[in-house]
Amino acid sequence: MNVHVILVYDINTEDNAGKKRLPKVLKICRKYLVHVQKSVFEGHLTEGQYTRLQHELGRVVDKKADFVIAYKLGDGVKLEKDILTETPDPTDNFL
Amino acid sequence: MSRTYYIFSSGRLKREHNTLCLESEEGRRVIPVEDVEQIYFFGETDFNSRLLEFLAQKGITAHIFNHFGYYTGSFIPRASQLSGFLLVRQVEHYLCPDKRLALARCFVEGAIHNIRRNLEKRGLDDICTGLDNYRNALKKASSVEEVMSTEAHARKLYYSAWEEITGWEFGERTRQPPQNALNALISFGNAMTYTTVLKEIYKTALNPTISYLHEPSERRFSLALDIAEVFKPVLVDKIIFRLINQKQLTLDHFNRDLNATYLSEEGRKVFVREFETQVESTILHRTLRRKVKYKSLIRLDLYKLIKHLLGEETFTPMKVWW
Repeated sequence: MNVHVILVYDINTEDNAGKKRLPKVLKICRKYLVHVQKSVFEGHLTEGQYTRLQHELGRVVDKKADFVIAYKLGDGVKLEKDILTETPDPTDNFL
Repeated sequence: MSRTYYIFSSGRLKREHNTLCLESEEGRRVIPVEDVEQIYFFGETDFNSRLLEFLAQKGITAHIFNHFGYYTGSFIPRASQLSGFLLVRQVEHYLCPDKRLALARCFVEGAIHNIRRNLEKRGLDDICTGLDNYRNALKKASSVEEVMSTEAHARKLYYSAWEEITGWEFGERTRQPPQNALNALISFGNAMTYTTVLKEIYKTALNPTISYLHEPSERRFSLALDIAEVFKPVLVDKIIFRLINQKQLTLDHFNRDLNATYLSEEGRKVFVREFETQVESTILHRTLRRKVKYKSLIRLDLYKLIKHLLGEETFTPMKVWW
């Protein structure tokens, strides 16, 4: 089973520990998903990759202070996207 | 679920924070490493051994093409799938003339079938009958050389219809370097198919250097050429017809040199995009009763070949049924 994931996070950076967490979370997300906007990621993952992503994030985030949410679309569901600005598609695989 | 990335822009690809980062004139772009299955380099890209080590670790294949769109070579991670037993069987089927002939015949049979399917519905009955004759001649062929020459004749006949289908000048098949636009397209498309097949072979325990139709000469992964023979009509020729007939490609997409014609960068982009869409699209498989991607059809053929080599089932090449 594959999932299409849109992940959004909000890391509490009021204290120093939070400021250290933020880049760590960013680096983990960048391994699996395309960085669309500041704290928004998107990508297509296998179930195994998604579990690993969850596990890696779980070890870094502060479960009380931060907020991480992943929207999932199941296999075969096509996500339609409209980009209203002149920005090129960030998930394009032609570089 | 990983994808193929195509890099046309020139710049530097590097490992950064355990993922990939492309720095080019257009800026920085971070590529999620888990999303990458293989990379095609069409531009001039710098990279170092640290990157190659990382690609190997992640099992990513890299294919490099030169300025003219010629296939230069591939970086393939150290093979993880090895089977001495299968290798012995592969060699056995090569050394025994009957067994080799049977496999060689299969590949050409599949190729001619798929070629014929491209011509049906186009009202080219003469050529279709001609192809049928070659197909019958194939059954009587008693050596691999004969099979090879039947294949060459069938393909020549097939190419004779191309001027009519596309409306472009073709003449005859010219390679190294291609002399006109159609030939340039075929060469480029064949290289794309070859690399796609090669990557799939590396995912199985098959040895890519031992082949049956082509002579397993040194310095070439000739098994990929054997398998590509079956898939070229589906993955390359159909795309060429489509792109030309829908006027997505025009003669402006080609650069003419002193004695050669090449696809321009823009033209390459158009072709590769269509190729990618084709390879990633799905069809309903009759025996598996589920949808499979075109690129999975290649893998399925390889599995069939393994079963044949191990003596479990007789190999039948992918034949277009849709």
